[in-house]
Amino acid sequence: MTRTLTIHIRSGTMMNMDANIMVKLARAATDKGYKVNVFGYGEGVTAIKEGQDPRRFPNVGRAMDELAKQGVTFVVCETCCSARGIRRGEEIKTAKIGSLTNDLSRFVAESDRMVTLAR
Amino acid sequence: MSSILFIMLKSPYEYSSLDHLAAIGGDEKTGVILFEDAVYFAVDKNKGQELLDVADKVYVMRDDFAARGLASISSKFLLIDYSTAVDLIMEQYDQTITV
Repeated sequence: MTRTLTIHIRSGTMMNMDANIMVKLARAATDKGYKVNVFGYGEGVTAIKEGQDPRRFPNVGRAMDELAKQGVTFVVCETCCSARGIRRGEEIKTAKIGSLTNDLSRFVAESDRMVTLAR
Repeated sequence: MSSILFIMLKSPYEYSSLDHLAAIGGDEKTGVILFEDAVYFAVDKNKGQELLDVADKVYVMRDDFAARGLASISSKFLLIDYSTAVDLIMEQYDQTITV
C-alpha cells in the first residue's frame, strides 16, 4: 500500500522560502512513489492563487499545478481564503478550497507522516 | 523506542533556548533537519554545539547551505538533499515536529 505524506503549510508564498520547501519536498516524495497531500492554512492559502507572477522568485502556483498533475492533492482552508479576499474561481484549477474539518482531518487520518511548515 | 525528527527553519539567533528540543526528545532517538536560515547552526561553533548536545544527528539541507554562500561544514553535520530528507521523514523516524 502506498504510504502518504501530508504537508501542512501556514506560510505565505512571498513571506519566506517555506512554500518552496513544500514544493521541493512534495516533488521528492512523489518521485519516490509516495502519495502527497498539501493543506494550506492561514497565509498558506496564498499558494493556490491563480496568476502568480513573482518574476525573480520561483513560481509556487505553477509548480503546484505541475505537481498536481503528478498526483499531489492541494487543499486550502476556506475560512482563511475568505479572510484574505480569495474567492472561489480565483484558485489554480488543480487545487481545491476546502476545510479543516473535512479535508485536513481526512489527510491526518490517512497519512503515515505529516510535516508542518510554519513560523 | 520511538524516534522524533525535528524540523528547524529559523536562524539560531531567533532561538533563546533549545531546552524544548531536549524536553520533547527525552531519551528517544532524535534527529534535526536544518532548512533555510536554520543552516547557520552548522557554521556557528557555539550554537552548533548547543544543538549537537540535544540531538543525536543533525542534517543540513545542501540547497539552503549553498544558497547562503556557505561551503565549509564540520563533519558533525550531515549535508543532505531532498531525496534523503524524504527518506528520513517517511522511513527513518516515527514522527516530525517543527520547532
